[in-house]
Amino acid sequence: MTGYDTASPIQDTYASAHAEFGADPAFWIRYFTPSPAAYLFSDDTLTESRAAWDSGGPNVGCVSAPIQSRLSGSAAEGQADAQAYAASMLAAYHAVGPLDLPSNGQLYCWLDQEYSTPLSSSYWNAWANYIAEYDFAGLGTYPLYPCLYCDPYSPYPNCSTIAKAHGVNVPSAIWSSEPEPCGSLTSPPRWNADVCQTVPTKLWQFGEQGACNYSANVDLDVGAPGFVTASYCFRVKSRP
Amino acid sequence: MSSLSPVPVALRLAAAPVSSPDQDVTALATVDMVHDGAKITLTLLDATSAAVARQASVIVTGVPGDANVLVTPVFAPGSAIVSLVLAITIPAGKRLVRKVDARTGSLTTRWATTWRSHHALAYFDQGSGAITGPFHLPDEPSLALSTSAANSSDLLLWTTREPQPGDRTEIRAQASLSRLSVFPLGSGTARWSGPAPAPWPGGEPVVTLPNGDVARLVRGSHVQVCSSRTGEVTEQGIAAFGPARAKPSAVTMQARPDGAVFMTKPGAGVAVIADPAQEYRTTARIQFPVPASPLGAPWSKAVLSPVGDTLYVLGPAATGGLCAYDVRSGRLAASYSEGRQYAGLYQLPSGTLLAVRAENPRLAYFSSGLSPLGTADTNLHVSAVF
Repeated sequence: MTGYDTASPIQDTYASAHAEFGADPAFWIRYFTPSPAAYLFSDDTLTESRAAWDSGGPNVGCVSAPIQSRLSGSAAEGQADAQAYAASMLAAYHAVGPLDLPSNGQLYCWLDQEYSTPLSSSYWNAWANYIAEYDFAGLGTYPLYPCLYCDPYSPYPNCSTIAKAHGVNVPSAIWSSEPEPCGSLTSPPRWNADVCQTVPTKLWQFGEQGACNYSANVDLDVGAPGFVTASYCFRVKSRP
Repeated sequence: MSSLSPVPVALRLAAAPVSSPDQDVTALATVDMVHDGAKITLTLLDATSAAVARQASVIVTGVPGDANVLVTPVFAPGSAIVSLVLAITIPAGKRLVRKVDARTGSLTTRWATTWRSHHALAYFDQGSGAITGPFHLPDEPSLALSTSAANSSDLLLWTTREPQPGDRTEIRAQASLSRLSVFPLGSGTARWSGPAPAPWPGGEPVVTLPNGDVARLVRGSHVQVCSSRTGEVTEQGIAAFGPARAKPSAVTMQARPDGAVFMTKPGAGVAVIADPAQEYRTTARIQFPVPASPLGAPWSKAVLSPVGDTLYVLGPAATGGLCAYDVRSGRLAASYSEGRQYAGLYQLPSGTLLAVRAENPRLAYFSSGLSPLGTADTNLHVSAVF
C-alpha cells in the first residue's frame, strides 16, 4: 500500500497529487510539533482531516522533525521534544470528532533523523521513553509507539544508537529514506528498503519530490510486505 | 591536513550553546544534580579564543535527582543581562502500564512515569557577575519546549499549556494553548501576557529587531512580528519562500547590523534579505541549486559575508563543494568542488569559511574567494558550529 508524506497541508496538496498519480493514497504522513519548518497538521486539524477524507486516503500518520542539531543533544531535549509531539497529537485528536486512534491500538510516531544528523542515546532514550509511556487522552491504553525515520547507511549514528536501546525505547519500526529509485503511487518499486540490523524497516520512502522531479508537493512511501501502514495511523472515520 | 585534538570546555550540556548577537560570546549551560536541587552553571566563552570569560551558578532547590532541566540562555542586545529560561520537568507519579509489545505482540506490564513541567527564570548580569532568581512561573502543567528572545529591557517568552484529557471542548473552540509573556529583565513577573497565535513554540528561528520588536520565522514561510510594547503579533508572508514542498527545509534568520534580516531556506534553494521597516519587503533574493542535505544538521547551509555583498552556500547536490553568489546581481560569482558533499557551512570571525561533512576530513577551510586553505580530521560528529 502506497501513500504520501508532505510538509504541506493536505488541502493544498491532494488535488495536484491526484492529477499527477491518478489514484488515491492509502495514507498521508503529516508533521506535528516540533517541526519548526513545516506546516503542522495540528494547526488546522479540521481542514486537514476533511482534506484527507476528500483525498480518498483518510489515514494520517505522524512525524516530527525537530531542529536536527537537537537530536545529538541531552535527555532533557529529547524529553521536551517528545512531550510537545505527544501533546500536539492529543490536541489534534481532541480537535476533530471523527479522528480515531488505530483500531489495533498502535499509533506509530516517527522521529525524522536526516542523513547528516547524529542521534545520541541520551536524546533517543528520553524521547522514545516519553512517547511509549504517554497516557494518551487518559485512555490507559498507551497507544503511542516510537519509530525512527532515517537513512540506515548514513555514516552518522542512527542504527548504532537504537541498537543500544532497551525495552520500550527500542523503536517499533524504521522508515527508510533510501534507496530512492522513484516510481509512482500505482507502481512502486519492488521492496528493497535499506535496513538497520536490529529493527525492521516497515516503511520505505522510495520517491522524494526533489530527486524524482514530482510536481506535486509529496514524497511517495510504501509499506513492507505484510505491513499495512494505514493501520498504524490516525483514521478519519467520516467527513468532519 | 591536520588532526584536531578537541579541548572540552563543558560536559553534559543542558542544551545547545547560544551565540551573542555580535557573535563575540558563546553561552554554555550545564546542569548538575546536587543534594538540594539542580545546579545550573552558565559559562560565557570568548568566541575567538574559547577562553572562559564569565561563569556563574545558581541552585534551583527542591528539584529531584531524576528531573530533567532544560536551560536556554538568551542574550539581550544592548543589555548586559543574560536571561536563563529553565524548563523543569519532574516525575509526578508512577503507575502500572499494560501495553502490547509491537515486536512480539505480547502484553507486557511495567511501571511508567508521569511527568509535569513548569518554567523558571533567572538572570545573569555580565557586569556584576551576579545571578538573580530563580523565579518559578505558575504555568504547570506546561510543555517544556518554549521560544524566547530579549531586547534591551524585556524578555519575551512563548510557552504552551500542556493539553489535558479533559480539554476537548476548549480545543474544539480553537482556544489557543500558547501564551506570549513579556518580562522586564530581572523580573519573574510578566508585565504583559496573552494568547499567542499558532504554531506552538518549537524551535523556530527568532531575532530581536533594532526597535526592540521580536520576529519569529514560522512554518518556513511567514514572519510573525511581536510588538515588545503591546504584545500584538502581526504576520507577513515571505513570497520567495513559497508554498511548502514535500520535505521541510532547514531555515535560518539573522538580524544584520544595518537593520535588515537575512533568511535562508536551502530546501527551496533561496536566501533573501528583507527590510523589517517595510513589511519585510525583499531587498535581495538569491537563488541557488538545492544542496544534498537541506534539512539535516547543521542547519547553517548558507551564510552572508559581513559586508553583505556575497552569499556563500553549499554546492548543488550533483557536485557538492561550495558556491559564492553576488548579492546585488544574484549571479554565481565563484564555485569550488573536489567532489565532496558538505552538510554545513559557517564563516568564522576571521573571514575564513568552514565547511563540515560526515567523513574525515570532517572540517574543511576556505578563503573568502573559495580557495581551499586546508582540512582537519576530528573524531567528533559536528552538529553545529559556534
